[in-house]
Amino acid sequence: MQGRHAKNMVQMSILDGRLVQIAKEMGITLMMTSYSTIFNEGLDFTCGLADAKGNLIGTGDFQPSMIGGLPLVIQTITQEIPVETLEEGDVIVHNDPYRGGMHTPEHTFIQPVFVDKTFVGYSVAIGHVAEVGGMVPGAFAGEATEIFHEGLRVPPVKIRRRGKDVEDIWRLMLANYRTPRQNFGDFRAMISAVQLGEQRMRALVTEFGLDRFTQLTDSLLDYSEARMRAELKEFPNGCYSFEDYMEDDGIEKRRYKIAVDVFVQDDEIVVDFRRSDKQAKGPINGVLSVALSASYNAILHLTDPSIPKNSGCFRPIRVVAPPGLVVNANYPAPEVGGNTETHIRICYTVIGALAAAVPERAFATDGGTHSNFLFGGYNARTEEYVVCYDLSTPGWGGRSHADGNSACNAINGNSRLNPVEVFETRFPWRIDAHEFVSDTGGPGEYRGGLALRKKMTCLAEELTLSFMSDRQELAPWGLFKGQAGGCGSLHIKRSGSQDWKDFHQDSGKVSASKFSNAKVYQGDQVIVVAPGGGGYGDSRKRDPEAIRKDLAAGWITETGAATYR
Amino acid sequence: MSYILGIDVGGTFTDFVAYNEQSREVTVWKDFSTPGDPSDGILNGLKQFPRRNEISGIRLGTTIATNAILERNGANVAFVTTQGFRDVPFIQRGNRRFHFNSRWVKPEPLLQRANSFEVIERVDCEGNIILPLDMDSLRRVADRIAERGDIKAISVCLLFSYINPQNEITARDYLASRFPDLPISISYDVLPKWKEYERASTTIADAYVKPIVTDQLGELESRIAEAVGAARVVVTKSNGGQTTVAGACEAPVQMTLSGPTGGVVAAQFIGSVTGEKNFVTIDMGGTSTDCSLIVNGTASLTTDFEVEWGIPIQVPMLDVRTIGAGGGSIAWIDKGGLLRVGPQSARSRPGPICYGRGGTEPTVTDANLVLGRINPDNFLGGTVALDADGARAGVKRLAERLSLSVDDAALAVIKIVNNNMVGAVRSVLIEKGESPDKFSLMFFGGAGPVHACDLLKDLSMSRAIIPVHPGQFSAFGFTATDARVDRQRTVQMTSNRMDHGRATQHLKELEADCLAQLHAQGFAGDISVERRVELRYHGQNYELSLPLRFTIFNDATAKELWAGFDKAHEERFGFNIPGEFIEIVNFNVTAVKRLSKPQVPKLARTSFAPKPISMRSVGYDEGRHDTPVYRREELMAGDTIQGPAVIEEAVSLVVLHPDQELLVDDYGNLHVSERQAR
Repeated sequence: MQGRHAKNMVQMSILDGRLVQIAKEMGITLMMTSYSTIFNEGLDFTCGLADAKGNLIGTGDFQPSMIGGLPLVIQTITQEIPVETLEEGDVIVHNDPYRGGMHTPEHTFIQPVFVDKTFVGYSVAIGHVAEVGGMVPGAFAGEATEIFHEGLRVPPVKIRRRGKDVEDIWRLMLANYRTPRQNFGDFRAMISAVQLGEQRMRALVTEFGLDRFTQLTDSLLDYSEARMRAELKEFPNGCYSFEDYMEDDGIEKRRYKIAVDVFVQDDEIVVDFRRSDKQAKGPINGVLSVALSASYNAILHLTDPSIPKNSGCFRPIRVVAPPGLVVNANYPAPEVGGNTETHIRICYTVIGALAAAVPERAFATDGGTHSNFLFGGYNARTEEYVVCYDLSTPGWGGRSHADGNSACNAINGNSRLNPVEVFETRFPWRIDAHEFVSDTGGPGEYRGGLALRKKMTCLAEELTLSFMSDRQELAPWGLFKGQAGGCGSLHIKRSGSQDWKDFHQDSGKVSASKFSNAKVYQGDQVIVVAPGGGGYGDSRKRDPEAIRKDLAAGWITETGAATYR
Repeated sequence: MSYILGIDVGGTFTDFVAYNEQSREVTVWKDFSTPGDPSDGILNGLKQFPRRNEISGIRLGTTIATNAILERNGANVAFVTTQGFRDVPFIQRGNRRFHFNSRWVKPEPLLQRANSFEVIERVDCEGNIILPLDMDSLRRVADRIAERGDIKAISVCLLFSYINPQNEITARDYLASRFPDLPISISYDVLPKWKEYERASTTIADAYVKPIVTDQLGELESRIAEAVGAARVVVTKSNGGQTTVAGACEAPVQMTLSGPTGGVVAAQFIGSVTGEKNFVTIDMGGTSTDCSLIVNGTASLTTDFEVEWGIPIQVPMLDVRTIGAGGGSIAWIDKGGLLRVGPQSARSRPGPICYGRGGTEPTVTDANLVLGRINPDNFLGGTVALDADGARAGVKRLAERLSLSVDDAALAVIKIVNNNMVGAVRSVLIEKGESPDKFSLMFFGGAGPVHACDLLKDLSMSRAIIPVHPGQFSAFGFTATDARVDRQRTVQMTSNRMDHGRATQHLKELEADCLAQLHAQGFAGDISVERRVELRYHGQNYELSLPLRFTIFNDATAKELWAGFDKAHEERFGFNIPGEFIEIVNFNVTAVKRLSKPQVPKLARTSFAPKPISMRSVGYDEGRHDTPVYRREELMAGDTIQGPAVIEEAVSLVVLHPDQELLVDDYGNLHVSERQAR
């Protein structure tokens, strides 16, 4: 009996490898054929496979924020489009945050997989489309007050039926974007990815036989669950609480509290957000899938990274997030920043709480924002209207064994930075500097990563600028006496002026970190600073050799070194 | 008499091939590699060659550059860049290697930040110098380099130098006059392509390995001269072409993928002999497996190479993917009780348990031995006795923890390592947009043939080839290299805004560059030149590479190119957008001087069926079979063998499954396929 179980384990391990491999192949296809730089340079997408019950059974190393959200997206799609109505060759598209989506730019494409006319599961691709209509190019409307400002909502609809495009859906969708050609290319790329996944999964199920395949994927889900339970068992029982804030919502100058109580009991965990503030008027709200995926993200970061990522590992985790809160807003609240910005805050609130339970696994917060910088306008040099979504990378927080990485994506992202030479070739800006800011890594026994500063000059006659960020006032916190990292910022110096001002001072925006449609003109300079990470542990305990190296490298100055004495 | 030797230094073994330039006969042997100084292993092996005083040429793969980077023992480098951008090598691209892994530490560049310097200058994206190089700022940088005292090489990478290198060249000339003893690498020479981090990283790597490559290759050359007398020593570059030792020291970053190219060159060569054109090559050694694609007789190139994750080295290289799966990969059980194999390897020291050199962890080779696939008395032609009992005891320990029989545990180890290789092969195919149907698998490396028949099934492909000399295939490939130079340059233009004159000029310059490099190595005469251009629809980010059938850009030739791209895009991705602006990104020129090749002799044909030399029990998926064992040296052209069977040779063996058959071609290559119904 045990021998059979062990053979099962071997087969399961092989199947897991194959499922992950299929997801990777889907990702390669997506990366190579898509148009949006956020896809092909930014790699802001995730591919995966689900079983017939909608359980995520395999995914590759993609966007961390999407992986935790996938199971809910799949479930809600299948609620609205029942399995009985699915046919071979159908592809469903969906982006609605109030139907399991994460925010409007994130589009899910899903294709049912059939083997000999029997429905066996789904091939799924989810990706961030750069332009989705709405009040600003690129959807990140810092001043949105309803989801309708944030681009076209697409409930689950078939964009292909029995292997053929549904022309009406395509025409309707493409009529609502500023860059229809690019969206067409991105949608095509996602469809080729799910089609590839469908072919591969069909072959895999055929090879194993449906019964054996189901048996093995069930075991795989159980295995992940068991691994997660074993990890959680190492967390001491108790209730752990933490609070943090979003600085404002772009509409009103007031803070929004994210409060969590995490209950650990034996091998299960409940993450309760009931003490959090009510939902915001502006676009910082999370929706349910954000609350879920941010909580999962935190817990996956505190447990063994080799646990296969599938629905099984989420089973011992319960998230309590009643509707109407900033972590799970009610329709039709705006929400586009919830998935990029508030996700990070939710995630680190959970990590901050559990730091008391598992101090050696925990880490101080990263800079906590992607500093989403979006602009659109006419580029005279290339004679075209351009839209760009540019982001920046903060410092990571210090950890129990190492300093935080500098210039590395915040916890819910994995995008690559745009190269200066590509950026200037495409867009009407000149970048004057891209450099670290000394003394911005939160001091600690293990230092936080440094803040990153980009200074640039506008070359276009006029550009429209939107910004979605946070951590300009409330610095990224340290842990266990580690100190805070440096704040982020965005400043502008108008052509001919000597004064650097934020966009509240310059353009009268309510928030300097979240706004839409500011104007920038030729010769104006801006400086974006992505924040540093918090420190871990008492800075006076830092290894003197590490301090000497930091000084030699210039990561800290003599003034900064004083913090360590 | 004169011999050309090919030598390949692997993680576990150093392989040797000698071919006689007159008779064109080939001799092969191998020896253990020597960790630390690989030249010891080379010299040890040379001593075993009785005709070592008759060697006219030695062709090497080298791992000096690769190891210097992996082991971080290159030179202390200074980096000089545009003001505002000294942190580019540290910022990198901002992405992370793993998800949900908070312990991951971002890789450090091959540079200390204190040695990263800025000069005042600026070129814009069209190549206009909007700020001339400020010589005072350069002088101050030079003063600081001098003050530091421990700088051993200098790298220079200024923004947009790939369009206009004037400031970079001025900086180099000044620094060369200030520091005549320091090697200087400038990005325009090393990699004139856009994306400043990738270009800087490649340029820094070139400077980083220059001193050590110069020292070690120089020393190796003189030790070889001492051991065998005057022989022309050449080194294989990452693009599969050879270069002189002086050429290698001039641009050492070209050597970072030298080692694994030999097998690809050999596979291409065998293909040209047998007439097959499409292969996936699988080179499985003791430590790792290299995988590459040959399409229409040509190995694909890549510029996406990273020696270490996040540290790109983007000179054109043969596209060889390495995964940590080899005969020495260690089998272990994870926290959840799941069996895993690799990426840790027992390497040559201590090696698998069965080598009896102190290894205690069961490896893939041990599993193969337990299953009777490997013959303990014929390893390396019987020169190394294998400890079968030790291997069995090791696998048994694993089996007990898994509650499996010893055979089942050994099979599980093999299945899992095979599964890792399946993943690598599939990735290579999908990235090139190729369907597996048109490819044969070619297996070599000591461990490759052992897994050939398993993988043929696991990949659901139809044909596998085990070429002659599979155990020394890379070394064999080195004897078959041509002299080759690849140069690439970013020339960003769009179809609606073409500057035909500038495009033509760049193409000419690249070609002249390539020819000059070949001439400098003493090659002249019949040199073939291939020109390619990388294109995409404006807005896309990955390019398709198209051959150029002309040398002068004008309205007519450009029109032909755009139409060709629309067609290629349709073929590759299943759609195109005629009339859409097309963007040219890079120009690539390759110049090749073909050199003489060893001959692969034809085997005689016989009418006799081959006879097994013995029988032994071998474990397969479905259980054990008494299996006839054939000696490869005794096989003749046209022989067919039905599975189950084992075909042994001195350094490798093939395990034919019961439902497979094998055919020996005229040259002695073994072709495996599913058994035909009769």
